[in-house]
Parts: sequence; structure tokens; C-alpha cells
Amino acid sequence: MMRTALFALPLAAGVLAAQTPTPAPADTSRRPLPVLKVDIPPAATLVAITNATILTASHGTIENGTILIRNGKIAAVGKDLAVPAGAQVIDGKGKFVMPGIIDAHSHSAAESINEGSLSNTAMVRIEDVLREDAIGLYRSLAGGVTTLNVLHGSANTVGGQNAVVKLRWGLPVDSLLFAGAPPGIKFALGENVRQTNVPQTPGRTPRYPRTRMGQEELLREVFTRAQEYQAEWKAYEAAKTQRRKDAKMAEPIPPKRDLQLDAMVEILEGKRLVHAHSYRSDEILMLLKVAKDFNFRIASLQHVLEGYKIADEIAAAGTGASTFADNWAYKLEAFDAIPFNAALMAERGVKVSINSDSDERARRLYQEAAKAMKYGGASEEEAIRMITLNAAWQLGVDKLTGSIDVGKDADIAIFNGHPFAPASRVEMTLIDGRVFFDRNKAPTLEALIEAMKRRPRANTTSGGPQ
Amino acid sequence: MIRRIVLPGVVAMAAGAQLAAQAPPAQPSSRPTAYAITNATIVPVVGARITNGTVVIRNGRIEAAGAGVATPAGITVIDGRGLFVYPGLIDSGDRMGLTEIGSVPGGQDTQELGQFNPQNDVITAVNPSSVHIPVTRANGVTSAITSAQGGMIQGTAALIDLAGWTPDEMATKGRVAMVMTYPRVGGGGGRGGFRGGQGQPDGAEAQNRQVQELYGYLRNAKAYNERANPAIKNLAFEALGPALKGEVPVIFDVQTEAQIRGVLALADTFKLRVVLRGATEAWMLADTLAARKIPVVVGPLTSVPSGDAPYDAVYANPGVLAKAGVQIAFQTDDGGEGDARNLPYNAALATAYGLDPEEALRAITINPARIWGVADRLGSIEAGKVANLFVTNGDPLDVRTQVKHVFIRGQLMDWDDRHTQEYQKWRARPKPQ
Repeated sequence: MMRTALFALPLAAGVLAAQTPTPAPADTSRRPLPVLKVDIPPAATLVAITNATILTASHGTIENGTILIRNGKIAAVGKDLAVPAGAQVIDGKGKFVMPGIIDAHSHSAAESINEGSLSNTAMVRIEDVLREDAIGLYRSLAGGVTTLNVLHGSANTVGGQNAVVKLRWGLPVDSLLFAGAPPGIKFALGENVRQTNVPQTPGRTPRYPRTRMGQEELLREVFTRAQEYQAEWKAYEAAKTQRRKDAKMAEPIPPKRDLQLDAMVEILEGKRLVHAHSYRSDEILMLLKVAKDFNFRIASLQHVLEGYKIADEIAAAGTGASTFADNWAYKLEAFDAIPFNAALMAERGVKVSINSDSDERARRLYQEAAKAMKYGGASEEEAIRMITLNAAWQLGVDKLTGSIDVGKDADIAIFNGHPFAPASRVEMTLIDGRVFFDRNKAPTLEALIEAMKRRPRANTTSGGPQ
Repeated sequence: MIRRIVLPGVVAMAAGAQLAAQAPPAQPSSRPTAYAITNATIVPVVGARITNGTVVIRNGRIEAAGAGVATPAGITVIDGRGLFVYPGLIDSGDRMGLTEIGSVPGGQDTQELGQFNPQNDVITAVNPSSVHIPVTRANGVTSAITSAQGGMIQGTAALIDLAGWTPDEMATKGRVAMVMTYPRVGGGGGRGGFRGGQGQPDGAEAQNRQVQELYGYLRNAKAYNERANPAIKNLAFEALGPALKGEVPVIFDVQTEAQIRGVLALADTFKLRVVLRGATEAWMLADTLAARKIPVVVGPLTSVPSGDAPYDAVYANPGVLAKAGVQIAFQTDDGGEGDARNLPYNAALATAYGLDPEEALRAITINPARIWGVADRLGSIEAGKVANLFVTNGDPLDVRTQVKHVFIRGQLMDWDDRHTQEYQKWRARPKPQ
């Protein structure tokens, strides 16, 4: 809940009668602060991070280890590696290095997220509304995050096409997109889709569906349409092939192109990953049944706060679960949420990630992941995987990023201590071997205070009215 | 499985609102009333750590704590080998007991209508059966300042212990402060949902008008309270009496430098004792606040900076204040989202960005006890204090640390909360066929 005072209520009447207005303090909130501008140094072809404690996320911890990065890819990892001449050396002494954090549920950088007019908006794309200057991107980068799954909101049963991005702050917007990430789509179930928790505009017709039954029916409906559309195209392609053999045949007429159904067909063909916002165990089971009936896999259940109740079913479906560490009770469908959710699902064989769904949690996801150790006893590496490799797997990019292994993109976060230790913070974040965040060069509060001391403003010590 | 201690029975209460002066009521006979935690590292928070120490708890109080303390005969002994004893943590701002489920209006007692509600006494609406209470104390948070929100004057804040049969039993101090919000220009910053930190500007004109209304209201209340026998009673103005006489502090929920300056001017005009809360831009006025001895409750640190402030501004603010000599405490601002149990991790974020870890611990124990005027009863492990304390296997600021035992007013809390119940129930679910 934002601590923003609400001033929209009617004022207490009569109180102010016959008062001499007191001059209010002037507005000084629009003070000049330096605009965020960070120089991103060019990528070096050869980078070595030396003498660090390396949390690989895939094969344990390497003490006093070195990572060699060549052309943005991890070229070698281990102890006693020779540092080639000419390499840019990052001294990792006393530092902890982990894979760049992957947030499987984000809305950062999206100019808008809900096309709320229809229940199926499979045709709209986050890619079209990305902003490279969204400040949340830089703050997440400063929290060790390198990859985000930017999703639509949860207004619709089928929300739209997501975008997997890398936080290449300071580069043009197209540079954000994660080349090689398979396309995906956001689904949503439960309370948000029903629109029962938001104030209703008077006179507006409620939008179907208003129940969880309606949500199931809608999914079966749209996938049935998609199957028909798919069949039309298959028939058309077959006819074209036929005509190449038989010149006397009439030119076949192509079906009408439908961008909404195109996306749905890609789901049926396993080319588009479904990330489904869901809370309650019953609605999750419904979705898994629908997916089974239409013969596709749900890539990830998002939020999945009751996943712990049906962990076996989720594991059997080969579906990932991306959840909050310990948020609960913010709505009725979150009332059965427990902080043991992540560890219990993992214990039953589900690939679990911890996500942020917020610019705030995104920048300290490492702290959130540690909660999987506290509640339910996940191992340290399992907890690290929940914000790296498992999230990469859910997004279909686990061959490219998510662990410190040879051949993968050099997406790396460097901490001044163990990422789960209380006083640890991110010192440096690399994407494709390029340093996109360096605390030593970042505009910190400390640096700002120093700058203000050099250039004192009037009235900084007076507490009186202005 | 981390929470091994499951004790039968209900949570028993030691005392009522006048705890200091009263003997505790009779306990259910099955529950011990005296404990000794032996061989533990005691972190008193005031003074040095004590290794191999013993804490004796009897009749709701810490009877003794130290290295040479003998274990009395016939007492329930908890072996504290390898464990640590800390004073119970105090969340200096949330809405504990006032809200249950965010989206369900029937459970919300967080916000009254109108701008001025000094007469609203928050303890009235604290639900002792809120399921948030046991969930929160399970992480060592034993006390909270709870208060309403919305408008310019919200009413009283209460300091409650997170255990008790009735609101009055829970209250350590039922009217510990008056709560106000200083009007603000513009939005931004804050807790941050998916579009966090992008609030809408409220407008300078509206802010100015509201400031004048606040001044006017307080001037009327002051005039009323200076009258010997007002002909017509005004309960709202009367409720402001203790704050206007400086008997209780006024908590000002603020964020910006402009708001803080406004509060300082208001405090001068009405001779108020002020505690700033939120105060993400307090670092700009750190020296002034230190010189004027104005305490600052920072947090939640789980929020994003406003506008173009440095990325670490929220995290680094507490360290800057503490270094300048400002007395700081932390709040979670939990409005029912379940963040109150994460109070120590708010403090942890500050230690990563400049706050001394010992001071961070004091800022969730003895500092708030001092700010809220209960340091004679709470905030440290010292003989004679109320036995609000918890036992861990490590640093409570470290997320990985396990809480082993929690005591509130000398009573050992059980682990029977909503989250452990659901966990145990569903973990035992047989594999489906």
C-alpha cells in the first residue's frame, strides 16, 4: 500500500470559520536534482573476474575462482585459470559472484499493460510499448537483475504477448529485447479477470467472464476457434501443394489472417510459451486440464500462491511455478498463501522461481529468494536457482543464461558479500560481459550529498516557514 | 521443517494495559510461568553481548540475565546452546489488527471518513483474533505501533504487544501518540506495485489549502483546550489536548523535504513533540533533525525512491540519519500485506547501504522503546523488563536465520499460526493416484 495521503474526501465543515489563513510553507519539493545519466563503457572482448567466490547455480560454489569472458560469453570458469594478456580484469577478492538475476514476472519498462476491452487480447504485444528510459530498469540492474519477463497485466483471460528483455540500460529500446528468447503470452485467472475488486464504472456493462466457470469456458472457446483456424490454414497449405502438381486446379483462396488466432495457434503448436497468472488450486487444476485437452504445456504458473496444495499435479504437467516469497492476504485469493510455498513445491519436484511483479521487489530479489531457505528449508543453491536458472528455464532461455557455465551469456551480478547475507549489496552487474552497473561510478546518495556540500543550497539548515 | 516447537493450548496473556503496576492474572494451569534459557549468547542491545548466559523469565518479567546467573530449581529450562537471545522487535508503524484481507472491505478499519479524526482511538478497532498477529510474532516481532491512515489527522496510535485476549490486554500504551499526515505536493515514491513510484501530482494549490486547514484546525483545538470549562464539549479537540500540551508526541507521516520543513514549522507554532515517520528525504535535513532531537521512523525500506532520486536513496537514508546523530527506528507500514514480519529485513537493507548493524538492531528494539516512552519496560534484555524476547540460531537481520522461541510477557508463544497450519496440512497430502 502506498503511503500516499488521500485528500479527496470532503473537508470537515465549519472548522475554519473566522480563521486568519496562515501562510503555508512554500513548495520546495521540485528541487533540482541531477538527471540520471550513466555512462556505459563499451564491451571488452576479453574480461576476467578473478579471485571471487562463485555461486554457479548449476554446479555448486567455487572459492577463489575465476570467470573468463570472451565476446560476451563465458569462456571458462574455475580455480587456477590463467588470465590472458589484455583482459579487462575485475578483482573479485572478497566478492561473491552469481548469475545475473532473472525476474520471471515484471511490468517494468512497459508503457501500458492491460488492453482491458476484451477477454482475449492475444494480438497485443508488450514489445510495442517498451520504454528504454523506465527508471525501474536501472534500479533493478543495480539490484543484480539482468533479465526480465515483461508481461501484460491480469485484466483479461488472455492478456497478450510478453517480451523477455535484458536490462541494457542506456542503449536504444530495441537493444532491450532478448534475442533467442521464445515468444510467450500472458494468461490470467481468478479475481482480477472477474474485475470484482476494482470500482465499476456506472453504466458500463460488465465484461464476460465474471466467474471461474466463465474463464474455463472462454479458454475452451478460444482454443476451439484456434483449432478451426489452424485447420483452415492446413487445408489451404495442402491445396497449394496440390495445385503445384495439378495446374488445372483453381488457385486456392487463403483464409483471412487473424492476429489473435495466429498467437493462439502458436500456443497449440508449442511455439509460444504460456505464463498464467493464477492463485487458487482449483483454477490452476482447471487450466492444466484445458492445456492437456488441447495438447499444449503451460510454461509457467505466475503467482501460484496455492501451488503448494497441488504441487504433484504441477510437477506432473511439467509446468514451472513462479511465485512471491511471502506476500499474502492482499486479496481473498491470496489468503491461503504461505511463505513455505516455494520450498514445498520444489520439494515435490516443481521448478520454482521467485518473482517480483514490482519495481520494488525486483531490486532485492536476492533477499526474497533467501526466504525459501528460511521457510521450508530449501538449500542455498536451490534458492539461488529460484532467481536464476529456474526462471531461465521457465522463459525458455536456460541454454543461454541463468547459470555460470561455459558457453552461456556472461550475465553476472557481483556482490560485496554473500547475496543472502544481511549487509550485502550489488557492486557490479554485467550483461553479455559488459558492465552495465558499477556502484563505484553510479549516482549514489552518498555522491549526491557530497555534490550538495560542494554546492550548498539556501535554507538547508532552517526548519522555519519559508 | 523449521518450526519444531508446537505447544498445545492457547496463547496465554500475562497482563493488561497497566502492566507495570499489576500482577499478571492467573495462567491456565498447564502452561509454565517461569523459564530459564541457559548457555545462550545474550544480545542485550544495551551493552556488550554475553556468551554462555542465562535468562530467567518469571511472572512476565526478565528476572535475571547474565553470565553468572543460576538456574532456579523447578523452572522450565530451554537449552540455549548455540542460540541467541534478542529483545522482541518493535515495528514502529503498521495497521496491525485493523485489516485482514486487503480486497475485502468488511475487514477494513484502516480509514475513517474526513480529514480530521483525532478522536478516533485506534485500540478500539484492534482485532485480537487477527490471523496476522501470530504470523508476525513468529519472526520475533513482539510489539507494534498500530494506527489508521487517510486524511490529515488519523487519531491515536497504540503500542500493542502481539498477543492477548482483548485489545486492552494487548496495549502496552493505548494512546502512545497522535498521528497526522502533513499535506504533500505531488506523488511518487512509495511501496511500488507494478507501477510503483509514479504517483500523480496533487497540485501545489491544493496542498497550500490543506496546510491552512490543518493550521486552522489545530489553532481551534488549542483555543478549546486552553478554555477552563468549555460550554459545549468537543471530543475531537479534547483528544488533541495531550498532543498540544506535549504530553504525547505527534507522529507525522511524511516523505519529502518540503513536508518535513512544514512539520518543523508547525511544531514550532504549536509546540508539538514530533516523531517523523516515512521521511525518505530526511537525509536532506539530517543535521537539523539531530540538533532538534527529532526522532525519525524510517521505512518501509521496501519502497522505491521518488522521481529522480538516487537509486539507493531509500536504503541509504537511515545510515545518513544515524551518522548525523538522529535517533532512528523502523516501520514496515504493513497495511495487511503481511510485511510486518519482515521488519528485521528492512533494517538489513539499511546495513547494506551504510547503517551500522548494531545501530540497525537498536533501531528495531531499544530506540523505538525510547521514542515511545517505554524503555523502562521494553527494548532490551535487562532484569526487570517485560519478557518480550526471542531466541534464534543467528542474526535476526539475516533472512536465513531461524527463530526458535518467542516470548511475549513471559509467555512462550506456540507456532500454531495460519501459515504453519496450512504448511503442515498440505505437506502431509498423499501423492495423488
